[in-house]
Amino acid sequence: MVAVSETPPAKPSLWSQALRAPEFSSLIILVIVLAAFAFGDSKFLSPLNVSNMIAFLPELGIIALGMTLLLTAGEFDLSVGAVFALAPVSVMLLAQNADFSLGAALLVGLAICVVIGAINGILVTKVGISSFLVTLSMLLIVRGAALYVTQGFPLKAWDRPGPLVTLLAGSFDWGPFRLYTSLWWFIVLTLLAIYILDYAKLGNWISAIGSNRSAAIARGVPADRVKIWLFILTSILAGLAGMISAFRISAASPVAGTGYELEVIAMVVVGGTALTGGRGTILGTLVGVLMLRAIRNGIVLIGVPGLAYNIFVGAIILAMLVLHAALQKNKARA
Amino acid sequence: MSAEVLRLENAQKSFGSVRALKRASFSLHEGEVVALLGDNGAGKSTLIKSISGVHPLDSGQIYVRGAPATIRSARDAIELGIETIHQDTSLAPDLSIARNLFLGREPVKLSFLGVFAPLDRAELRRAASALLRRVGIAKKLDADAPVRTLSGGERQSIAISRAMQFAAKLIILDEPTNNLGLEETHSVLRFIKEMREAGHCVLFITHNIHHVFAVADRIIVMRRGEVTAEFVVADADLLSVESAITGADVATLMREGKSH
Repeated sequence: MVAVSETPPAKPSLWSQALRAPEFSSLIILVIVLAAFAFGDSKFLSPLNVSNMIAFLPELGIIALGMTLLLTAGEFDLSVGAVFALAPVSVMLLAQNADFSLGAALLVGLAICVVIGAINGILVTKVGISSFLVTLSMLLIVRGAALYVTQGFPLKAWDRPGPLVTLLAGSFDWGPFRLYTSLWWFIVLTLLAIYILDYAKLGNWISAIGSNRSAAIARGVPADRVKIWLFILTSILAGLAGMISAFRISAASPVAGTGYELEVIAMVVVGGTALTGGRGTILGTLVGVLMLRAIRNGIVLIGVPGLAYNIFVGAIILAMLVLHAALQKNKARA
Repeated sequence: MSAEVLRLENAQKSFGSVRALKRASFSLHEGEVVALLGDNGAGKSTLIKSISGVHPLDSGQIYVRGAPATIRSARDAIELGIETIHQDTSLAPDLSIARNLFLGREPVKLSFLGVFAPLDRAELRRAASALLRRVGIAKKLDADAPVRTLSGGERQSIAISRAMQFAAKLIILDEPTNNLGLEETHSVLRFIKEMREAGHCVLFITHNIHHVFAVADRIIVMRRGEVTAEFVVADADLLSVESAITGADVATLMREGKSH
């Protein structure tokens, strides 16, 4: 039999397939949201405002990449917002008060993230406590540590530029836009995450673990080890995002990143990744990150009172999730 | 008798104070279908889970093709040529058929990259459709379709074809016909016969004695963590097998009933 002669079962057209993909429906809504804001206030697409959005974007976006992989494997991490604060606080304290070189201080900061992620991962996989409880406790411990080592006050402003600072938070002008190096970090890490989840063997394992852990283990997939490394990765990315943010504004605060854990999880699920594991999409997360940032920014611009804006953010997230659920049902019927 | 595939001697396994397996011993041979029977709690599942590496034994010895073997993980078992189809838990519903077929041993390019190596998607697709064609379900199924869209019987055939694909010496099926319709059950039984013809040894657990008489060559009965009886199907009758399972001497009871 000639290989080309076999006719695969009739496949839905590329277009209808794309229409059903969760990231695609999110993308359409993103376009509508952006158009609505641009229409509502001409300043929304001004170079200054776009530059502002792009400056904030990578900081939550980088954490969202790790969270997407972790959620796809069936776990999540509530301690990312606290790690976002503790990592830069430790780095700046060591460099300012303990005479560490910035390079050495950054390494210690990363090591702290690795330890936090490893503890999360080991408690979840080896002791068998749910990731909700483990990382909720870790949130308190890490946030508490950040407050304690700083005695609750923001650190004094960072005043020593250098190549490492430029690498993390340098900025350059591109036409009328002001861009930060963090954007490159975000782009490179996004491409890496897409590669891992959709193209590498590891991605197959991550999805399989989230979809049916015992099936994956029965096929010889080292599920616990994969999960522990994903917790470590998420922690590192949260710490990196925190350092990028702190060096961009030249100050580290022990309360930075408060509430980020839920915002990041919202970005990820709005993009179409399943909260229950098994299905993850980095492109969807990218759309989710853009959407939530644009909504936060645009809602203020079009004049919604600041105190009311969480109402809108929450309502839009709910609307997105309802849409995903409806599409998912549709797909199951098809 | 043909060559021995697996022999188990004095297998023991406890969960806390519960002794699930105490001194279980038996052997399996090439080209035979063996049914493992026993009431709930007899230790059947524990036994196959220890052979497949899910719950390593506390003590006892496993011999694979005559050589002593250590099975501490699912990977150990797979590498020894033991493929297990666990009840309802063999496939990842969100992954495509092709990805499920090759889960854990994906074809990759640039294999020196380890877990970061890229999947060889063309090879994955090609091998998957070849396999589906071989087991006779190519027409209906698209290798890229997620397993969640399949029926129970289709899932079971995917799991079985995966086991056959890797030319396993021993294929273990845990209640393979559970929750299946009549037609699907027949296709699973047909698969079991095909596996025997291809020279595999098949060990399957079931509660349906009729299936046993339809496909098995030999019956192993477990009770309270021990192998208590063995039958050659050709010489066995339903009553004596059932009484071995329950432990009550049903045949004697019935004879006595008649004599009164």
